[in-house]
Amino acid sequence: MSKFLKTIALALVAATLSGSAALANGDVDQGEKVFKKCKACHAVGEGAKNKIGPQLNDLFGRVAGSIDGFKYSKAMIAKGEEGTQWDQESLAAFLSKPKSFVKGTKMSFAGIKKQKDIDNLLAYLGTFSATGDTEPTTSETSDQTATTEPVEKAAPLKNAELPTHGTYHLGRMASEAEIAAWNHDVRPDGEGLPDGRGTVLQGEEVYVEYCASCHGDFGEGAGRWPVLAGGQGSLQNERPVKTIGSYWPYLSTVYDYVQRAMPFGQATVLSDDEVYAVTAYLLYLNDIVTDEEFELSNENFNSIEMPNAANFYADDRANEPQYNASAEPCMVDCKAGPVEITKRAQVLDVTPDQSN
Amino acid sequence: MNEKAKAKSMANAQIQLNAGRRSFLKNSVLVGGAAAIGAISATPASASGEDVILQKQDWRTDLGDGVGTRPYGTPSSHEAHVIRRNVEWLTADPVSSVSFTPLHELDGIITPNGVCFERHHGGIAEIDPAAHRLMIHGLVDTPLVFTLEDLKRFPRENRVHFLECAANSGMEWRGAQLNGVQFTHGMIHNVMYTGVKLRDVLNEAGIKPTAKWLLVEGGDASAMTRSIPMEKALDDCLIAFKMNGEALRPEQGYPMRLVVPGWEGNMWIKWLRRIEVGDMPWQQREETSKYTDLMPDGRARRFTWQMDVKSVITSPSPQAPVLHGKGRLVISGLAWSGAGKVSRVDVSIDGGRNWQPARIDGPSFTRSVHRFYLDIDWNGEPLYLQSRAIDEENNVQPTKDALRAVRGVNSIYHNNGIQTWYVAKDGVTENVEVS
Repeated sequence: MSKFLKTIALALVAATLSGSAALANGDVDQGEKVFKKCKACHAVGEGAKNKIGPQLNDLFGRVAGSIDGFKYSKAMIAKGEEGTQWDQESLAAFLSKPKSFVKGTKMSFAGIKKQKDIDNLLAYLGTFSATGDTEPTTSETSDQTATTEPVEKAAPLKNAELPTHGTYHLGRMASEAEIAAWNHDVRPDGEGLPDGRGTVLQGEEVYVEYCASCHGDFGEGAGRWPVLAGGQGSLQNERPVKTIGSYWPYLSTVYDYVQRAMPFGQATVLSDDEVYAVTAYLLYLNDIVTDEEFELSNENFNSIEMPNAANFYADDRANEPQYNASAEPCMVDCKAGPVEITKRAQVLDVTPDQSN
Repeated sequence: MNEKAKAKSMANAQIQLNAGRRSFLKNSVLVGGAAAIGAISATPASASGEDVILQKQDWRTDLGDGVGTRPYGTPSSHEAHVIRRNVEWLTADPVSSVSFTPLHELDGIITPNGVCFERHHGGIAEIDPAAHRLMIHGLVDTPLVFTLEDLKRFPRENRVHFLECAANSGMEWRGAQLNGVQFTHGMIHNVMYTGVKLRDVLNEAGIKPTAKWLLVEGGDASAMTRSIPMEKALDDCLIAFKMNGEALRPEQGYPMRLVVPGWEGNMWIKWLRRIEVGDMPWQQREETSKYTDLMPDGRARRFTWQMDVKSVITSPSPQAPVLHGKGRLVISGLAWSGAGKVSRVDVSIDGGRNWQPARIDGPSFTRSVHRFYLDIDWNGEPLYLQSRAIDEENNVQPTKDALRAVRGVNSIYHNNGIQTWYVAKDGVTENVEVS
């Protein structure tokens, strides 16, 4: 155990013994917003179940790694055996740097940087704990500290000069900085790629930290989360496996989508270099590159061809025989023989229960 | 009514309900909310007559709530079961998932805003309209930024259109799977949009001659994107800010969304914040990995934008069984086509052996759902109900078998095959396929 962790552990023991942990000073409503970062993996509230992470009801006072039926990392279980209980201090320490506080935790989350966000989050989670040692402030007093700044409505511009563009002279010119702030899309010809680079090995680190909890260590996908690797040659099978390697026609789509929407619940957290790196790692997982030292950059990006690129073609539904029937549809005696049921939904029994 | 009389009246109503419902309750998949179904028939419980007539009801004697107690009205508590529902096993997480419109409980052509199906990829963005901007840039003369208020100063249009997810009925490719029209066909809604022409907004920025495509992007946590060909953008697309007269609901893209009439719902970008004008498609994730149609030869169709001619009987259906026994029966359903108006709907009660034209009632708008009815005398024998839509371009809705013969069972999207409901003698209705 590092000296730092020892100090924290001692502080925790002290806090537990004294029984008077510092009260949280967070705002529940703001905390609920912060929780959006967590809810891809954690549930809280009535009926909350374990998901990728354990459910968080009655978190305060819970021994670390102690929820029955959840598969914790060895590190987290050890943490609990050392005597760590979740309270204001331990949670704050964990949430600011999860992988420092519990070295080896499988929680793929970089941490929350702002202390205020942590306070608010803990105030929110405290509302689901019977033994919560939190004392949330009311949202009235915290309005000034709201993280989203109130936006002023544009003052009415009476009789101002009309702009010259267009027919109706509506809207105003976008600045270059504004366009740059929003324009991050990447096309198959490489337009939109930022300068940057990353290797397969660097990508593996990014992947393990941010992606593996949902997509699996090797891109095999956990639960119903998308499978990212493998499946080559399976597209004509009874159960095709459509992955980046087996199906996706353009590498630009991988880069674009990762920077746009991934990691789920933490979109835009990755740097350009990290996106290059994780893209390189996905190529490696799919055997499209085989060298661990391979570095993907804006310079060599367009040299990568995806194996399934040639197998897409334009919509030709209009040529299907059922749309070519020029004759009037049959109205009488259209099928021979008595009607027989060949398939029944009831047998599968997968329809949701609809009792309220 | 005194307490005793009230209890008795409720007990009587319950007995009537139970008689009608017993046979299908055991299927466990049916609607909750017994109270919502109401008395099946007005059968007197005693010789003198029905308690609901002979006894005074509370609402006849007691004053109700005054105006203003319900500043934004909601449906009767007896309609509490008419809600969107989801299929938990379908997706990894409800934040990126779909809920389904309760088609079996609706009538007419307009979907109420609160039950329009949802499909989110990063949850519902809760946008402050004052902090929302729409940007247009790329191959334009003047890149522009609009506020919602700016947008409302363009000439407005009102149009009724269906929005159908390309994956609607996608769970049924391998055979009858989900026992309810809400789940087999509920990824569709139909509302009146108020908005402005995308063409007008593009022209305001000035499209350069080389411009052929748009990239449209949402402001949510998935920053959903699609490429749209310029021809469609200049034809009939809208940027909408109202649905059924009120502001878009947050789950439908508040404060503004794209309307792409007749084309797959994924393209109707919600929380629209950016339009980039370019000269080729962007090949985004939702037009390569998703929304491409895998064929049996291992190749895939792409850019399958238009929704095909399609119909379904919404009642009777598994969630709306026949409770009244033989005699008059209203068969009701919806029909639509991405090609335009629906010109005819045929209904079969014998599994496609014989067909008769149904009656289309209510307004017929282009790329909107149409409501159809067939009123019959039911002889109490099993029914094998099917409907078949024909649109104004003479496209005829195909059978599921015809589709599978060409496409196999792995193309996920664009399943517009004919649906069969089996109505048993006791009125219980089931999702089946027939010979």
